[in-house]
Amino acid sequence: MDSRFRFHVFPSTGTPIYRQLMEQVKFQVASGRLAAGDILPSVRDTAQDLEINPMTVSKAYSLLEREGVLTRDRGMGMRVSARTVRGNVRERKDELKALLRDVVVKAHQLGFMANEVIEQLRPMLEEMEKPNVRG
Amino acid sequence: MSEVILELRGVHKSFGRAGAKPVLTGVDLAISRGRVLGLLGKNGAGKTTLLKCALGLMRMSAGTATIFGEDSWNLSAEAKARIGYVPQKLEFQGWLKVRQTLAYFGSFYPRWNGVLVELLRERWELDAEARVGTLSAGQVQKLGLLVAMGHEPELLVLDEPAASLDPEARRAFLAAVVDIAADWRRTVILSTHLTSDLERVATDIVILKNGTVFYDGAMDDLKESVRSLVVTSDRALPSRADIPGVLAYEIMGNHAVITLAGVTPSLVDELERTYKADVEVRDLTLEDIFVEMHRG
Repeated sequence: MDSRFRFHVFPSTGTPIYRQLMEQVKFQVASGRLAAGDILPSVRDTAQDLEINPMTVSKAYSLLEREGVLTRDRGMGMRVSARTVRGNVRERKDELKALLRDVVVKAHQLGFMANEVIEQLRPMLEEMEKPNVRG
Repeated sequence: MSEVILELRGVHKSFGRAGAKPVLTGVDLAISRGRVLGLLGKNGAGKTTLLKCALGLMRMSAGTATIFGEDSWNLSAEAKARIGYVPQKLEFQGWLKVRQTLAYFGSFYPRWNGVLVELLRERWELDAEARVGTLSAGQVQKLGLLVAMGHEPELLVLDEPAASLDPEARRAFLAAVVDIAADWRRTVILSTHLTSDLERVATDIVILKNGTVFYDGAMDDLKESVRSLVVTSDRALPSRADIPGVLAYEIMGNHAVITLAGVTPSLVDELERTYKADVEVRDLTLEDIFVEMHRG
């Protein structure tokens, strides 16, 4: 059992708890703290630990499974999937463009110039490319 | 998962002489197996009356209530044995010990799960040898919950269960409710006037206002779809918003705050075009939504 991973939730914010859980898993996978094959804490343990409804945890896990981030391993629970790339190059490029457009619009509203945005983005991208460092 | 456990249709309730202000004015409600429903309303909104009518503990003036498909007023003994209810005010014999109280209530039921009760009692750190009269308000609530759960009811109804608890005891109590919810076949209805009681545990939210259901939906949908739009226009805004899903509308000349369910980008665009307005979209917490719904 990999018990390194712990969720934390803020129930009183406007973001539904299941979304918070999903985002945390995705973030940890992207940053390499969760690696392919790692087992996530069970629905029941997570629910008891966070004092939240088990259905909320289950919903988050199921949606992450549908998105391909997690794989259900019978008898073991939910595992982090091997990084798979879904869709063809064009589809993925379109998805990336849509995401970046949101960022660009928001950055513009916040009054940032193009080079400032890129400056912020670069270290984040570099962080992601680094080999996994744990602990 | 969609088996309906409890259903109310057009429930009305008035007390006393004709012409007195009715408490419930046409409540429709349905809850499916495995859900945790948070019944939210201000003090005096009619929550306790609604629960009592739903359970057949009080005659309603008009309407129907069914539990497990049976008429609530004429529930069979079998159906009653599948329900657990913790009323707002609990009355136990103060001179009995916790152990004796549990044994006493257990003797009423042909199927009493003494092992489960012991397990929960230990987990909730309730001393079996303590006299009930010496227990704190939080401990009495836990005892009430044990008594309501020993026969493993499929439907558990809790009326303001955390009302007399301090914040820390509230958290512990709600964690106990999570324990119960962990068994997914069980359905829980929990009434409260505090949004913070529901944020961790409720799957569905019903907001009761002026004796009727003001909002009924999944907690996640509530958070995802209800938004406030802050509208600032060059021209005067209409005094009424002709938009579907409006929950609250506050207008001050060229400036309006509209709270509504089902905000979409196209709706925001349309408002901006129609009124030559700037529209800012704000996320709301459950508490914000509750407060907004009681405006005006």
